[in-house]
Amino acid sequence: MNIKGLSADEMMSAFLGLEFNGTVMELNIFNMFRDNADLNGILFYYNGQITQNVILTMGDSLKQRLKEDAHVDSPQKAKKLFSSFIEMTQNALHYSPDISSVDEGKSAAIAVGTIEDSYFIVCGNLIKSEYIEHIKTKLDPLLNMTMEDIRKAYREQLKNDQHETEDAISKGAGLGLLTIARDASKPIEYSITPAECRVEGVELAHFFLKVTI
Amino acid sequence: MIYYFARTSLTPEVNFNFATHHLSLKGEAYPENAASFFNPLLEKVSSYLDSISDETITFDVDLTYFNSAATKMLFRLFGLLNEAGQNGNTVILNWYHDEEDLTSLEFGYDIKEEFLELEFNAVPISETA
Repeated sequence: MNIKGLSADEMMSAFLGLEFNGTVMELNIFNMFRDNADLNGILFYYNGQITQNVILTMGDSLKQRLKEDAHVDSPQKAKKLFSSFIEMTQNALHYSPDISSVDEGKSAAIAVGTIEDSYFIVCGNLIKSEYIEHIKTKLDPLLNMTMEDIRKAYREQLKNDQHETEDAISKGAGLGLLTIARDASKPIEYSITPAECRVEGVELAHFFLKVTI
Repeated sequence: MIYYFARTSLTPEVNFNFATHHLSLKGEAYPENAASFFNPLLEKVSSYLDSISDETITFDVDLTYFNSAATKMLFRLFGLLNEAGQNGNTVILNWYHDEEDLTSLEFGYDIKEEFLELEFNAVPISETA
């Protein structure tokens, strides 16, 4: 997803709802953004405050959209897409730092689009730098696992009753990323880069996760 | 002896009639915090199961979507029911699933394989929505 005319930093800022060049987005930039979104197959895009209600509303809207979309060649694909969308946005809701001095609280950028016969979901949010290693340890093994390995790891984690005591950072069942990896048609992709902003003394990083279904 | 919660957008209808030994969950399950929704349910079921013997329990599960955290909590719930089976009760689990939803069916079969005391029935339903 390259949006012509915007540098990576500006895109990132646009993704994360920060102002760039000290101005809000002008109409011509909006048009450019929209045209390029179309060109890049973007079906759905959201950037801003994230709450459980926002996730619910977006999820409903996505479901409606999928009913009419030609890329849905099986009901199974629509279900997998919905499931990955919920796991990714709830993950963002969990990890996005709740910073009181940033007026909108927890925020994230989410795009759903199509490429060839597949869908992709990209979700970007800020995380506390102290969680970088934790997230890497969870994601890196998934990148090189075969589907069989992923299913096996999923079943083991499902039966693992020690998760809550072993892992105090993840709120869920430790199954979220495995569920996403299991439903994906390609290995998941991610990037973590340090954020230049430091809020209330907390070091932050940008976390992007991309899944193809 | 009835434990009931109406369905919400994020949580299923819970209808646990402990007097008739008929329990059901129906809807979708993806609350922000699965533990805070499911833990009270697990506690109720656990104390109910402690109070019975030689009963036949029917559990209807008709969930069209449940997230990963809810999946884990459901697995625990079935674990409790399996123990009740080991203690001499009969537990029938009717697993309703969209006939085209292979992920749900696969999870159903994971439960069947893991919890041998449950009488597991997969009940396919055709999508009407």
